[in-house]
Amino acid sequence: MKSHALRAAAIWLLAVLASVWVIRNTTITSDITAFLPSKPTEAQQILVDQLQDGVVSRILLLAIEGGNEAQRVAGSKALLDQLVAMPSLAYVHNGDETRMGPERDFLLKNRYLLSDAVTPQHFSQAGLRASLENNLDLLGSPLGMLVKRILPEDPSGEFIHLIEQFEGESRPPQRDGVWFSRDGKRALLVAQTKAPGFDLDAQEAIQHDIRQRFAKVAGGKELKLLAIGPGIFAINTREAIRSDATKNSTVATLLVAMLILWFYRSPRVLVLGLLPVGTGVLVGISAVSVMYGSVHGITLGFGVTLIGEAVDYALYLFTQQTKERPAQESLARIWPTLRLGVLTSTAGFSAMFFSGFPGLGQLGLFSIAGIVTALSVTRWLLPHFMPAGFSAPIGSRLQRGLICAAQFAPKLKPLVWALAAIGVGIVFAHRNNLWNDDLGSLSPMPIADKKLDEALRGDIGAPEVGVLLAVKGADEESALQRSEKLSATLRPLIEQGVITGFDAPSLYLPSKASQEARRASLPKASVLRANLDAALRGMPFQNGLFQPFLNDIAKSKSAPLLTREGLAGTAFQLKVDGLLVTKRGSTVALLPLRGLKDEAGLRQSIASLQDGNVSLINLKSESDQLFGRYRHQAMINALLGSLAITLLLLVSLRSLGRTYRVLAPLAAAVIVTTALTLISGHALSIFHLVGLLLVIGVGSNYSLFFDNENFARAAPERTLASLVLCNISTIIGFGLLGLCQTPVLAAIGSTVACGAVLSLIFAAVLTPDRSVATPTAAP
Amino acid sequence: MTKPILKCVFLLAAMVLPAYAAEPAWGLPELMIDLGRVKQAKGTFVEKKYLKLLNAPLESSGQLIYTAPYRLEKLTLSPKPESMVVDQDTLTVELRGRKRSLQIQDYPVLWAFVESIRGTLKGDLSALQQFYKVILEGTRLTWQLQLQPTEKKMSALIQVIVIRGSKDRIATIEITESDGDRSVMTVTDDVTTSAAQPDMSIAKSRVDTPS
Repeated sequence: MKSHALRAAAIWLLAVLASVWVIRNTTITSDITAFLPSKPTEAQQILVDQLQDGVVSRILLLAIEGGNEAQRVAGSKALLDQLVAMPSLAYVHNGDETRMGPERDFLLKNRYLLSDAVTPQHFSQAGLRASLENNLDLLGSPLGMLVKRILPEDPSGEFIHLIEQFEGESRPPQRDGVWFSRDGKRALLVAQTKAPGFDLDAQEAIQHDIRQRFAKVAGGKELKLLAIGPGIFAINTREAIRSDATKNSTVATLLVAMLILWFYRSPRVLVLGLLPVGTGVLVGISAVSVMYGSVHGITLGFGVTLIGEAVDYALYLFTQQTKERPAQESLARIWPTLRLGVLTSTAGFSAMFFSGFPGLGQLGLFSIAGIVTALSVTRWLLPHFMPAGFSAPIGSRLQRGLICAAQFAPKLKPLVWALAAIGVGIVFAHRNNLWNDDLGSLSPMPIADKKLDEALRGDIGAPEVGVLLAVKGADEESALQRSEKLSATLRPLIEQGVITGFDAPSLYLPSKASQEARRASLPKASVLRANLDAALRGMPFQNGLFQPFLNDIAKSKSAPLLTREGLAGTAFQLKVDGLLVTKRGSTVALLPLRGLKDEAGLRQSIASLQDGNVSLINLKSESDQLFGRYRHQAMINALLGSLAITLLLLVSLRSLGRTYRVLAPLAAAVIVTTALTLISGHALSIFHLVGLLLVIGVGSNYSLFFDNENFARAAPERTLASLVLCNISTIIGFGLLGLCQTPVLAAIGSTVACGAVLSLIFAAVLTPDRSVATPTAAP
Repeated sequence: MTKPILKCVFLLAAMVLPAYAAEPAWGLPELMIDLGRVKQAKGTFVEKKYLKLLNAPLESSGQLIYTAPYRLEKLTLSPKPESMVVDQDTLTVELRGRKRSLQIQDYPVLWAFVESIRGTLKGDLSALQQFYKVILEGTRLTWQLQLQPTEKKMSALIQVIVIRGSKDRIATIEITESDGDRSVMTVTDDVTTSAAQPDMSIAKSRVDTPS
């Protein structure tokens, strides 16, 4: 006996130490992509990549509020000066055109490599004549004021041609030269971090740095800085989960501890009672860490829930123990029921574990590892350390009350069935809007962040997720070449009104092949001069006006080709980083479309290319589909889990009737909980589904106890007391979770808390088999 | 005792007489009222641009249509058809067969430019003064409005806009750019629809308003 105890204690200690060591080396993540599928389609992969570490994930939207307009303008300009100096930012802008110098210079300097209008004919006598006539028209038009400055260098119109390609881009309004929200209340800035959005420590440091620099700028004025972006969501989400998890687990632990202390009146039992839970949480987290390489914040927050479920096993044990019946013996009585209960829960959670969504898988693994550990600790460690002669003090009034309630409960059968029927009716009535179909509902980010994000995005006119074309190539060069070919197909569509514009990486970084061809089409100095002189005959341009043009062509003819590095320091670098993505050995060029009016027409043009490397991605429908698939998958997994539970019960109980009596209260509880969620105005998310699985896990323990043959014969009041106690501790754990600011955790918490209460009551009503026996008070 | 009375009489005379002796005083507010009465104006314009880049002026012509209070159309017919229409806050330009629309508030320089003409036609002094220092010279029959940009971005492009006219009609718009280039638009052949004729009593009561 003693050596058994020592061995158990040693194993426990090892497990705890190993878990602590693993956890110390664990990174915690909080990005939404953990809740996206691990084997997506190609289009979905692009979406997921963009969310994970694409340019999208590195954007920061900044806004300056408060003070008067002049202060906000000055604040924006001063903050820009500060941020430009930050090495951790790849790019920052506030719309100030005087700051657009690098972009303008880049376009001007590389115009003959960038412009797709550059062909040998373009610089022939006829080509130049056409350009000059065009310029004359422009000079006469309202645009003349802008054109004339550049005309001597660029009579062939490359610069204007390049600028025109960017037309149709939405841009925020300006006040005094800097970006402002339309209502003028916020000055706006956009920045891009070098670190990806999921690098939380880097993002946190950047945010801190920005705030410090802003404090310098604001210097006592009433200006306030708002900042939002995927990186900041991630930080805030981590913080929210961290504070939720810490606060809730502390409060839950305290409350459950008080409950145990109040009920058993023994500090030693209190410690023993918390041991299975604590160990379960540690092993659960380390199991996830080992399996997935990191732990998602949601999984941690979920740890609280384990307190609600895992503490149950110890409570069942303690309550069964009496002076006459030592721990080992009482354990033997409840062990089959506990084991079956844990197997049932495991079956449910396995469904999540095998779902193919890393986020759900983590929750599943965490729960399985946690409850199995908690049960093992209860089974093999606790009995050795129970105080000898311990008997849970249950007052006679409580005993009578519990027995009375249990005897009365089955009379409520019609009521439970009526409730279940109403529940089915409610679910049926909501069948068309049962699910929250917004991908954002998967996001663990706090609601306040979501609102600010929407507001600032609206202000800055950030493109809503729209339609884009993706074209794949073996390497950068081939992807760029295909991007150029695709651009040539798209250009006429602008004239036809199919789209209003598009963006492409090849606009900023043409393929080497095109650059070489363009450079080769630039004529020799003597040829160019002769062509120009001939073209100018009879035109009103001043003599010698185009000398800068002749010089520039000569320079460009011997200039090196443009490389990706050559874009550094311009906004175009940012564009190309976002639009030309190399992943898994191939490069994808992304061409976002603006103002798509005729999707059928677009599809037709794309199909005419007969290029299998091109795919049309509608991000909105893609993400909807993704969500649909996700939900579908989760639903199937939940059903499979339920099926597994049913089979398990059938095999263990070897009785159709008993299986039915164990499952009926669970089914009723699940239906009524779902109905309650729906009528409280919430559409179901995948996390509600997880919550319902948990309800089945927790609730199956209850109905198994009511089903247990021993239940009626001996000490039913003890079983009842332990069930009530377990139920209260579950409600404490999950009820607190329901109060979280993180939507995901709140959804799970409220679902389970409600479902747990219902399953206990329903189990008391539906499970006992009247033909066997009716519980009576023990003598 | 008589002295103070005499003083009063002189003072009164001094105040009242000029109003009768000379023509009624005329200034910016009066011009603006005159212009503001026009409900619709249609004219033919000829625009000549004198650019340093060119050794001959560029000439274009077409129609100018103003519909009070917010719509202004400049329809160029020669040498190439193009159009520029401002309605409320939207500017639509059709150039070389391509149409684009934009919100003028988003482009301060353009906005200032549009208001110089539309504000004048509308008789909206505050719209003009938002962007320009406004100087009026001449008489009701031949007046000249000088608009000097106050905003830095605008003054980098435009030095001064001079609008000449008579009564409630605009005759020429001359724009001098900061680099010395110049354009002169002459508007002729007006068809002008105005509101009711000016009410003399109102005109009189306006006499003492400082200009």
